[in-house]
Amino acid sequence: MTALTAIRPAEPAPAPSQELNGILQLLTCGSVDDGKSTLIGRLLWDASDLYDDQRAMLERSGRNAGGTDNPDFSLLVDGLVAEREQGITIDIAWRYFDTAKRRFVIIDSPGHEQYTRNMASGASHADVAIMLVDARHGVKRQTRRHAAILDLVGVKRVILVVNKMDLADWSQERFRAIETDFRELALRFGFREVVAIPVCSVGGDNVARGSERMPWYNGPNLLDHLERIPARDTTPTGSFRLPVQTVLRDGVDFRGLAGTVTSGCVCIGDRITDALSGQSAHVLRIATMGRDLESAVQGQAVALQLDTDIDVARGAVLAVPGSLPTVATHISARLVWLWDTPFDERASYLLRTATDLVPISKLQIKSRLDLETLATQPAQTCELNEIAIADIALGRPVAIDAFGDNAATGSFLIVDAVTGATLAGGVVSSATAAGDTSAASTFRLTREILEKGLCRDLNDNKADRDEFQRRASEAALLLRAAGVPVKLET
Amino acid sequence: MTAPFSHLDLLEAEAIHIFREAAAQFRKPVLLYSIGKDSTVLLHIARKAFWPQKLPFPLLHIDTTWKFKDMIAFRDKTVRELNLELIIHTNEEGIERGINPYDHSPSVYTDVMKTQPLKAALDQHGFDAAFGGARRDEEGSRAKERIFSFRSPGHRWDPRRQRPEMWKLLNGRLGTGETVRVFPLSNWTEKDVWRYIAREGLYVVPLYFAADRPTIERNGQLLVLDDDRLPLESGEKAQMKQVRFRTLGCWPLTAAVASTATDIEAVVVETLAARTSERQGRLIDHDQAGAMERKKHEGYF
Repeated sequence: MTALTAIRPAEPAPAPSQELNGILQLLTCGSVDDGKSTLIGRLLWDASDLYDDQRAMLERSGRNAGGTDNPDFSLLVDGLVAEREQGITIDIAWRYFDTAKRRFVIIDSPGHEQYTRNMASGASHADVAIMLVDARHGVKRQTRRHAAILDLVGVKRVILVVNKMDLADWSQERFRAIETDFRELALRFGFREVVAIPVCSVGGDNVARGSERMPWYNGPNLLDHLERIPARDTTPTGSFRLPVQTVLRDGVDFRGLAGTVTSGCVCIGDRITDALSGQSAHVLRIATMGRDLESAVQGQAVALQLDTDIDVARGAVLAVPGSLPTVATHISARLVWLWDTPFDERASYLLRTATDLVPISKLQIKSRLDLETLATQPAQTCELNEIAIADIALGRPVAIDAFGDNAATGSFLIVDAVTGATLAGGVVSSATAAGDTSAASTFRLTREILEKGLCRDLNDNKADRDEFQRRASEAALLLRAAGVPVKLET
Repeated sequence: MTAPFSHLDLLEAEAIHIFREAAAQFRKPVLLYSIGKDSTVLLHIARKAFWPQKLPFPLLHIDTTWKFKDMIAFRDKTVRELNLELIIHTNEEGIERGINPYDHSPSVYTDVMKTQPLKAALDQHGFDAAFGGARRDEEGSRAKERIFSFRSPGHRWDPRRQRPEMWKLLNGRLGTGETVRVFPLSNWTEKDVWRYIAREGLYVVPLYFAADRPTIERNGQLLVLDDDRLPLESGEKAQMKQVRFRTLGCWPLTAAVASTATDIEAVVVETLAARTSERQGRLIDHDQAGAMERKKHEGYF
């Protein structure tokens, strides 16, 4: 009790303003005994708007962190009863805390190797990852494995936290050696930023304040650094993408293509194209309940009304002409297998993209990534927790990007067609345009064909141009309904 | 829109996205409406997600007959003014058996009057997806909850069989007999809910605002007497106190807090400065260790 009162922050965290300045989602990963839950518990204890009953729960537990007078901060993090009994974290836990600057979301992922799937799914939501390493043990097999998973799912910023510095005599040499090892490892991946911080979670050193015990370190403490990283969706990146989720109608004349802008931005008057059908139109209205917008940026959920009703449904990806996603029937990809049912070449699978669901005609595993050596080895199978490189042939074209160009429209899930289970998560390395391999079977409904026949009575005025588009869409719709793959090129 | 996004803008956009995905992927969804502040936000965002279209699913309220009268009045007014479709379901058999929140333990009462009728209503109408306002910040076992939370036949929740969720991709393909609970407010906190209610100018049940109410103190908790059904123990006498609620449920199981916050601004200020978490006021959660997790296994929301 006294120990707790003594280490309680002198002043509560500053009262957050009504609306916080953005959200930063961070993943914590490390091996089982590196002290992840303790680090996060300590961060919550020192820097967050933790409730009194949560603090009291820690007091009541009477448990101390191994060999110290400090409470067991990990109790603030570990949730499920089953886990507490086992003394390990078995699933992802989400924690929320506010500082005066912003909302932090902590994604706590398990350290056990068998739960790599949880780490991969957790990492896919993260803006930054904390890689925790025990100062006594340094970079381990598990560290390499986790770095590979972070890279696979697109995490660009990594913080190396060298924990338990107290057990390494607060040694600068030890810290620098581990940092060097990790930076060398990191070079093999596509990280944009790596920062290393020496920490003692139990004592709070360099967690939310500095450390007198490590005067040789003059970098930021963990909290300072986290507050400096750009928040999610604050600056639009990439060119405009809006995967259509559903079409909204008011029963009169409103037909809105509803979805979230996953990258870039769109303004009223912009010409946009549906990559799947090849049709274009201008944005007439950007509608939300209560008010219309002049423009919509990455992260916003809106409904677009177009000046001509083009044949667009769920699964379409709206983009700007000149920067379209690939309309692909073949993709090569990297997968992380997430389910305990292994890959089976006789099973039937579906590919779920941002808003489309497409039958997979053939899924072929080409190789597997060996997480020990980070080398690929030829393979035909894939099971839980493995990372594979695969070729995927699709039953019909899908609008998709390379993950490196556009993460939201370049990632997918592999779904078991029978059980519905999510078997794997994947990122597109390259997508092959439908025309490249199946041009012969896709019917190209061009402006020329339409002008010569179906639309030859039409002139060049607004009403007739709309009628042209309407007939083109209708013809494409009928052909597709009859089973003919159509590419509308008007 | 030139101003940068606040965290509420992002949370709202995410919730709209989830509503639209679920409505597109599931055959027959329903919105579980419990009348409280979370349901109020949930309903508001559902309307935003499908505007200007009418809400493409009905509301379902499991009425235990022990809700505050103000809650029922608020429910009926909301449904009327927004022109919504509402299904009310009560476990009549439980009422005939005399199951009530004071003679029976919170776990028995909750099972008979809330969990069982919820399952029955979902089965009876054939709903394959139910939207709920649960948040991950509420309680330990919810911190691990998915956005699409799958229930095996019999509505059982098995934490080890939950599907991994990656990026913003939501996989709602159901296996035989499976149903799903959808949580669009997963990433909201109690503070966000109040900030959002204030920002959007939403009406909430007046019980959330401080007023003089007849209270008794029992087991260190303040109970507000909503009618005369609760037998008073010797020495208990109703006293008028200025109180409000942070969370609303069945009135004999929901504790009030002393407060002077009589309007939304004051409630926001009080919430932002709060020193205890809201579930302190929910008596069912303290019933036994790991209570909520056990309830979830059994199918409680």
